[in-house]
Amino acid sequence: MVIATGISSVVTQLLTIRELLTQFQGNEMVIALILFNWLILGGIGTLLARVITHRLWKATPARLYWLSLSLSGFAALQILAIRNLRDVFFIHGSSVGFYPTWLYTFFTVTPYCLLLGFVLPYSLFVLRNESCDYPGARIYITDNIGDVSGGALFSFVLVYLVTPLQAIFLAHIPLLITSYLLYPASRRHRPPVVLALALVTAVLVSGMFVEKPSLAPAEGRLVYYRETRYGRISVHQDQEQFTLFEDGVPVFSNQNVSIAEETIHYPLAQLEKIRHVLLVSAEGGVMEELQKYSLQSVDYVELDPEVTAVQFKFKMIKEIKGLNVIHQDGRAYLASSKKHYDAIIVNLPEPETFQINRFYTDRFFELAKAHLTRDGVLSFSMQGFENYLAEPQRQKLSSLYNTVSAYFKHVMLLPGQKVFFLCRNRPITTDIPAALAGKGISSRYISGFYYGNLTPERIQRLNQRMDSSTPLNLDNSPYLMRVMFSQWFAKYQTSPLGFIIAMVALIVVYLVRISREEFVLFSTGCMTMGSEILVIFAFQIFFGYIYLQIGIIITVFLAGLLPGAWFGNRLRRQGKQVLAITDGLLIALLAILIIALDKGSDRLPVLFFLSFGFIVSLACGFQFPVALYLRGSDAGAATRTFSADLIGAACGTLLTSVALIPYFGIIWAAIGLIALKLISLAVIGSHRA
Amino acid sequence: MNRISRRQFLYCSAAFLSTTVSGQSFFPFSGTPCEAALSEDIRGKVFKGDAPKTLWKWSHEGFLYKKLEKNKVVCGICPNRCVLAPGDRSVCRSKVNFDGTLYSLTYGNPCSVNTDPIEKKPLFHFMPRTKAFSLATTGCNFRCLNCQNYEISQAKPHDVWNYELFPPDVVKEAQRADADSIAYTYSEPITFFEYMIDTCRLAREKNIRNVIVSNAYINRKPLLELCKVLDGASLNLKSMSDDIYRQLNGGRLQPVLQTFKTLHEQGIHFEMINLVVPGYTDDDQMVKQMCAWILENLGPNYPLHFLRFFPRYKLDRLPPTPVSTLTRFRKLAMQEGIHYVYVGNVPNHEGTHTYCHNCNKLLIERMGYFIPQYNLNGNKCKYCDTIIPGVWNKA
Repeated sequence: MVIATGISSVVTQLLTIRELLTQFQGNEMVIALILFNWLILGGIGTLLARVITHRLWKATPARLYWLSLSLSGFAALQILAIRNLRDVFFIHGSSVGFYPTWLYTFFTVTPYCLLLGFVLPYSLFVLRNESCDYPGARIYITDNIGDVSGGALFSFVLVYLVTPLQAIFLAHIPLLITSYLLYPASRRHRPPVVLALALVTAVLVSGMFVEKPSLAPAEGRLVYYRETRYGRISVHQDQEQFTLFEDGVPVFSNQNVSIAEETIHYPLAQLEKIRHVLLVSAEGGVMEELQKYSLQSVDYVELDPEVTAVQFKFKMIKEIKGLNVIHQDGRAYLASSKKHYDAIIVNLPEPETFQINRFYTDRFFELAKAHLTRDGVLSFSMQGFENYLAEPQRQKLSSLYNTVSAYFKHVMLLPGQKVFFLCRNRPITTDIPAALAGKGISSRYISGFYYGNLTPERIQRLNQRMDSSTPLNLDNSPYLMRVMFSQWFAKYQTSPLGFIIAMVALIVVYLVRISREEFVLFSTGCMTMGSEILVIFAFQIFFGYIYLQIGIIITVFLAGLLPGAWFGNRLRRQGKQVLAITDGLLIALLAILIIALDKGSDRLPVLFFLSFGFIVSLACGFQFPVALYLRGSDAGAATRTFSADLIGAACGTLLTSVALIPYFGIIWAAIGLIALKLISLAVIGSHRA
Repeated sequence: MNRISRRQFLYCSAAFLSTTVSGQSFFPFSGTPCEAALSEDIRGKVFKGDAPKTLWKWSHEGFLYKKLEKNKVVCGICPNRCVLAPGDRSVCRSKVNFDGTLYSLTYGNPCSVNTDPIEKKPLFHFMPRTKAFSLATTGCNFRCLNCQNYEISQAKPHDVWNYELFPPDVVKEAQRADADSIAYTYSEPITFFEYMIDTCRLAREKNIRNVIVSNAYINRKPLLELCKVLDGASLNLKSMSDDIYRQLNGGRLQPVLQTFKTLHEQGIHFEMINLVVPGYTDDDQMVKQMCAWILENLGPNYPLHFLRFFPRYKLDRLPPTPVSTLTRFRKLAMQEGIHYVYVGNVPNHEGTHTYCHNCNKLLIERMGYFIPQYNLNGNKCKYCDTIIPGVWNKA
């Protein structure tokens, strides 16, 4: 049953994260916040298990059955609640800032996470009632088997085949069966037991039938819906207009002429002869605009095959002569391609995640330049401003301007609803309508509105306000992420300071109260999650977003826990000595990672990242039974060590994603994790003294 | 009352859970998602103790306010009627109570200055093909979720980069830019009323016209004062529902309607702007209701613009307005009796041109801000001599 709980919980976790990301801004801070909530609530649930079981509620198999049933029911209800309560608490169609996001994500996952955290130690107490010396480490190992299986099941099977509520149903079948079998055989056939099982099964089954209705938009109707490896894609039709939504955000519609014209004609108007164009993602209507030029080839790179399928199906973009659709990460494609282009047009969203930020960094601009012809042009855009350049926006544009200027002699920013960057080594004209007229190309938006909207004064003022002292946006130190966070907080006029102070205070209080062994596990949980985020971040920089390989990396970060815990259980009597050795090993591993990233960068084999993840998780898994043994292995110690691991992981997620990497870069982020482990080592040493 | 047993509790919970799931397709409880959170009111609040410690160069005593007991003041410019204790800042962020006196902090320090085609405001019946010297300071008395200029409308004067342009300088700059009018625009000019009205007076002396682009959320008394020097206005009529005003804009409907009546009574030319937000204001009945109110209170001659919505600022999870909705609304409003109805934010739509309401001939063809055809003689249709409402270039 513990394995079944692990499987269902990991599947539910992954689905919950995806669901919350479709309801809120999908930036790195929100992703970290969701994971943080999940892990911290799990940790609290684990702590509560001891208190409640010890004082109020004796652990029995029958009660574990009721808990597991509730857990199964909550999983489906949680997904539906996340979807449907949003419009009850927030204004329909609006996005919300940091605190509403945090509170909503916190409270919608609270029942499930608390219960989930509660169930694991509770299972141990039930087992100990049967056999009083049942080792806590074995539960940890068993749970890990479930976690790894659940992660693999979702990432490699379910995500391709079924919708979220179908996945919830399938993932909970083993839990329903095992928990029923756990119920004492003599009372298993009593009506309440069977009825409750039937009711929870009904909840899970009926969830599948309301999947589509629960996603129906308020405006128009849902004409297409798919869950892909990368997120949720839906198309809403309102009369003749089709709008593509990715993860709940309207990306583009088939009626947005002005953006399509700006995207294509601003860069292509610069060129004398144009033969080959590369589009990294596309806007609706761009192909019609490209068709106005005599092109030999248009290579259109899109990561998610479903996105292009939808675009063609609903005629948001159309097939044109020479069009070649490539389903690959844009950056990985450029790294592997030998082709040269007259124009590279990047149509990606704002750099809100590490994944997207890779298309606005030094190495990407270098890569783009290497694939441009001598007169070629690179174009990309940022969210625009109408009449005033606010400070965070100025920093963002300045950072990009400074970064790309290192590779191109001429960089011009054109203001408007989007700010377009035009970069090349030849002079850039800002009189786009005249250039288009010279080529005999007609336009609807540019010819009528350009001179009124993009006056020479507006263009000049924008370009003059670029600040040369703004830091560059580097692969290894993504400055733009910092600016994006600032911009996000500025937009909602909030500050994370209150949250940070409250969290730091709570963590300090927690750290003061825990034992040395728990601190070691806390720091290891923190370091393991931090390392996982670092490795995924670095992998994406070097190899692009490759779903399967990233899925495997996440899996190996779990897979090592199992053999690690097994070895640790065998060697637990070595005590503090092996804890110190594994801490040393973790520090050495991080040091190796730093050197490898610095010296090896994109020459590092995939195997390196996999081996690193496996060994880190091996060490982490190893420490758990040792620490548990040192703490005494009683029920209280078990819950506290379980929760130390979870709370550490929660802190590692938040710290690495939103503080260490954006503010200090990957090398210093790794050094920060080393520092944490050195403290852990010192704590072990002081104990010995 | 008997306490329920644990077993009963479990049964009830299970029944509740399954009922909730099967009934979830009727979520959220009743009505559309737009109605679900209708109780929400996003109107702004006074910023307690948020005033700067000292006044600055661009502080100017408020135009219309009352002193209350305990050194409090109440601002009389807009219907928010902010009551400010010493050290408080108004809802619009532009005014503060400093030792019992109301001060505007935005007198002579615009943060955005541009020269725009007058058609961009939009003003289609006001001196076509002329330039408007446009300026804004920070501040707004609304909290529109879809604001295009939130970086300045929802900012404090101290938080942005400012120019220094006192009223005489504005007039000089407008003359230098060869602008026929000065437009008080981008953010909300009502919040920089003192600066605006002094500039308007000077501009009027120099034969430069004054136009405002506003949410029309102003009290009658300051509006009457402004009307003495105002030539035109592009005003938002965001909805005919007070609930939607409170939910999406943080304002109220009635004061807005009163502004239209006052301007009509004072003979000021204005054009009404309605942004069609999917799920909120894309309702045929609301358009009919709006037209009925306009016809009854203002007559058929004031131009009405239906603008296409695009996801912006905080209202960024809605699709854009389908073009056919705007086309339908235009047709509907004309059928109801409004003479001049336009479609905005859709390049080259038929609804951007002006047709004579009498002979239906094309008077002004618009391609964006360009006007390839202009068929008016002064203020009359070239074909049938009908007077076309508006403020026109001389023949």
